[in-house]
Amino acid sequence: MILSLCQWAQNTAFFTAIRGSWNVYPVIMTTHLLGIALFGGMILMTDMRLLGWAMRNRSISDVVDQLRVPKRVGLLIVATCGILMLGSKAEEYYYNIFFRIKLVLLLCVFLHGMIFRSSVYANAAALDREAKIPGRAKLAAILSLVLWAGIACAGRAIGYVEPPLERIHAGISETRSLP
Amino acid sequence: MLIQNPLNSSELAFPVLECLHIIGFAISVGTIAIVDFRLLGVGMLHQKVTDLNNDLWMWTLAGLIIVVFSGLLLYSSDPDMYYLNVAFLFKMTCLLAAIIFHYTIHRKVVSSDASNAYGKWVACLSLALWASVIFGGIFIGFVNAGL
Repeated sequence: MILSLCQWAQNTAFFTAIRGSWNVYPVIMTTHLLGIALFGGMILMTDMRLLGWAMRNRSISDVVDQLRVPKRVGLLIVATCGILMLGSKAEEYYYNIFFRIKLVLLLCVFLHGMIFRSSVYANAAALDREAKIPGRAKLAAILSLVLWAGIACAGRAIGYVEPPLERIHAGISETRSLP
Repeated sequence: MLIQNPLNSSELAFPVLECLHIIGFAISVGTIAIVDFRLLGVGMLHQKVTDLNNDLWMWTLAGLIIVVFSGLLLYSSDPDMYYLNVAFLFKMTCLLAAIIFHYTIHRKVVSSDASNAYGKWVACLSLALWASVIFGGIFIGFVNAGL
């Protein structure tokens, strides 16, 4: 079922065009990485602040609350580009072990958010009032850093798996600009 | 005499270095972007630009060290290919410009705390230069090296 959905998606005119173009795909990839730089830097500083390792002259709520919106914008950029790349080669990604690992890690990030949002990220002002940074905040920060670093590494590793060509049905449109 | 680069005898060395490279540029470009967006009046508005720069410059430098050293090692795996790759040459030009700009004009602006039109132009140029570096980096893998 998922496989046939992947096959359908990559055969739509839109995703076929992305796949067939020699320059659109790398431009999407570049934007994906630019998003990672913006978004990753902000995640790092948020988590480092929660650990008490960076920006110690600023309150936790200043860092966490002020970076929330820019982080969401960054995530939106990264996710949009990710979906564009996924759609254009959906079947190949479906078989890719590192893509599957990446999805599992993204699910973990989602659960991490569900678990720690109310007590840490949406509760920064209360963390400021504590004499010491509470253990749950530090745990949340470490888990977040490990998960996002894992996602970045799994993402890079996707490109190293040889696609099972005999099982891939992604055609290239005839208007392909390079041989 | 031909010396075998030990990096090329391990299949894992290159991808692991690439992961470090990505994490390094997320740290460096990410922290630079936080300051640049502040200059543009986006995000972290409770802080002054100078305060933000004092908090972040060391992280930027740490990220740059990681990214440059992992990059040098990646380059050493196949120097001829990189040397002949137009995207790589573009990237190095932008990187050199970005680093010089960052530690001269950009540094002056972020330590003077004047938020004016000049600061915004500097922030835009800084973001554009770093974006070009990443752009060039991705295209290394997509440009025909002509070998």
